[in-house]
Amino acid sequence: MRITSHQKNYVQLEGVNKTFIDGDREFHAIKNVSLKASPGELLVLLGPSGSGKTTLLTLIAGLLSPTSGSLSLFGRSVEGYSNKELQLLRARRIGFIFQDFLLIDSLHVIENIAMVLRFSGMKRSDALTAAGKLLDQFNIGHLARKLPSKLSQGEKQRVAVARAIANNPELIIADEPTASLETSQGFDIIKLLHNYAVEEERCVIVATHDLRIADLADRVMRVVDGEIQEECSGPIAEINQLIVVGS
Amino acid sequence: MRSYSAKILTGQPLRLAITIAGISLCIVMMLFLLAAYHGVANGSVEYIRKNRSDLWVLSSNAWNILRGTSILFTEDTYDIENIPGVESVSSVLFLLTGIKKGDQQATVYLTGFDPEAESGGPPRIVEGRSVENDQEIVLDGAFASKFHLSVGEVIKVRDTELKIVGLSGGTNALVIQYAFVTLHRAHLIVGYPGIATCFLVNAEPGADLDAIADEIKFELNGVAVYDHETFLKNNIQELQTGFLPFIYTIAAIGVVVLTTILSLLLSVNILEKRKDFAVFKTLGSPRGFVSGMIISQSIMISLAGCLAGVILYFPLVNFIERVTPEISTKTSFLQIISVVAVVLIMSVVSSLISMQRLRRIYALEAFS
Repeated sequence: MRITSHQKNYVQLEGVNKTFIDGDREFHAIKNVSLKASPGELLVLLGPSGSGKTTLLTLIAGLLSPTSGSLSLFGRSVEGYSNKELQLLRARRIGFIFQDFLLIDSLHVIENIAMVLRFSGMKRSDALTAAGKLLDQFNIGHLARKLPSKLSQGEKQRVAVARAIANNPELIIADEPTASLETSQGFDIIKLLHNYAVEEERCVIVATHDLRIADLADRVMRVVDGEIQEECSGPIAEINQLIVVGS
Repeated sequence: MRSYSAKILTGQPLRLAITIAGISLCIVMMLFLLAAYHGVANGSVEYIRKNRSDLWVLSSNAWNILRGTSILFTEDTYDIENIPGVESVSSVLFLLTGIKKGDQQATVYLTGFDPEAESGGPPRIVEGRSVENDQEIVLDGAFASKFHLSVGEVIKVRDTELKIVGLSGGTNALVIQYAFVTLHRAHLIVGYPGIATCFLVNAEPGADLDAIADEIKFELNGVAVYDHETFLKNNIQELQTGFLPFIYTIAAIGVVVLTTILSLLLSVNILEKRKDFAVFKTLGSPRGFVSGMIISQSIMISLAGCLAGVILYFPLVNFIERVTPEISTKTSFLQIISVVAVVLIMSVVSSLISMQRLRRIYALEAFS
């Protein structure tokens, strides 16, 4: 079931906690987090390494279950999804961008993108055709038959974005997508994602410690020690204010 | 999936080549053992198979000629000849004896037979002719080749010179080879005239073999009588009990080595591609996708190994047979199919072993 943009809130967390247990020790990675993410916005989870941003992303992706609290994806509690449904959700409705992009080195660029389409159930030949078209849209059609190891960081970045949006997902989750990029390339990728969010009425959630990209976010949530400490939305100046205060 | 599996494998060409080489050698070894077994089985019982006597008579303590001592007296053949329904009887004497040619000496399974009789001689002559008198000998072809003996040459058995007049086929039992002389010459060699190992009895057409066998046992004390099929089966069974455990043990070692090589390669590949697999899981790969990839890799390597093994096998066996002629092999399509089937089964087992590692790869690993 797809929800319409009127229903808002593709992602909704209410008082979510996540605790990891290692022998006798407990580690509270996420503490009482509540947040909502809606279509048409780019939400940035800003925080230093180890603050819990990535754990939050994996919860949102349905890869981890909350220890307590409620987590809804596309209007339905994650507890209500079977493993098969969660797999299909990630294959069809969620796009991923990883730190260092994590393209599959053994596969050509076009196959990296076609693979995601195949996971969503498309036939191999159709997936390759669609992947080729997408690469052309990104003006990187000439890279189709190259291996990722032969690409520059900027090229990898564009391929990673193409892979993330190949299925036209309603939600994109990006983990430190600018970590290995120069400033201008970092801005480029965030602009691409922001345009996708706005033009396609999709939701993009980016976890980063990079203060520079907050300028392009619709909302910024500052994550410290597993908690959302501050949230800011609106004019960029306000966001910058938050960053300055937070720093 | 197949494409990705193949690309992971070809990403490390040297490792892939070494693995395929290892598997192909295991396959060569298994094929060779099977072929050697069938070659030995053929060489050991071909004599019996081709000498289609209706009945075989031996001492009652012996039930085969491969590993049994049977002593009969040739004069008893007269009693057998007089039994109604018996067409002919001939005596055969088997001796393990040494032969000499210059400084070389070797042991053969010397068969003394009556050249006038219709059975008891070499099952097949591959060169020259069969024995006609007491000064002649027929050697197994592989034996002659090993010791560089040929038709026309003279060898010594004890102090008697015998001329090689022919070479036989189907008489190579790997550890020992047959040679053929007249029964009289065999008696002279052993020094006990009038003894035989067995009698070969041929019945008249339509005669009741069971009745003849009963009559032989009645006339001669302490003998066993077997029809041709039973006697052939006895000898094959004797061969199997002595030889098959050895073959099975080595073949089992080959299978274990093959499984280990495959499991090792697949496990290393899984560890190396751990991040890729985590990414697949995160991106929503269907259940069984990654496992299927491991199985498909394993089968691809095994098939490549099988192909390389079969291609390598035939020239290698030719070479072995040329260098060591006493090794005689017999390869059939069924043997190749059987080995390939075993390898494919073990490749699936190897992938199942390696897949234990997949359980400990989590989608979360894609997030750093």
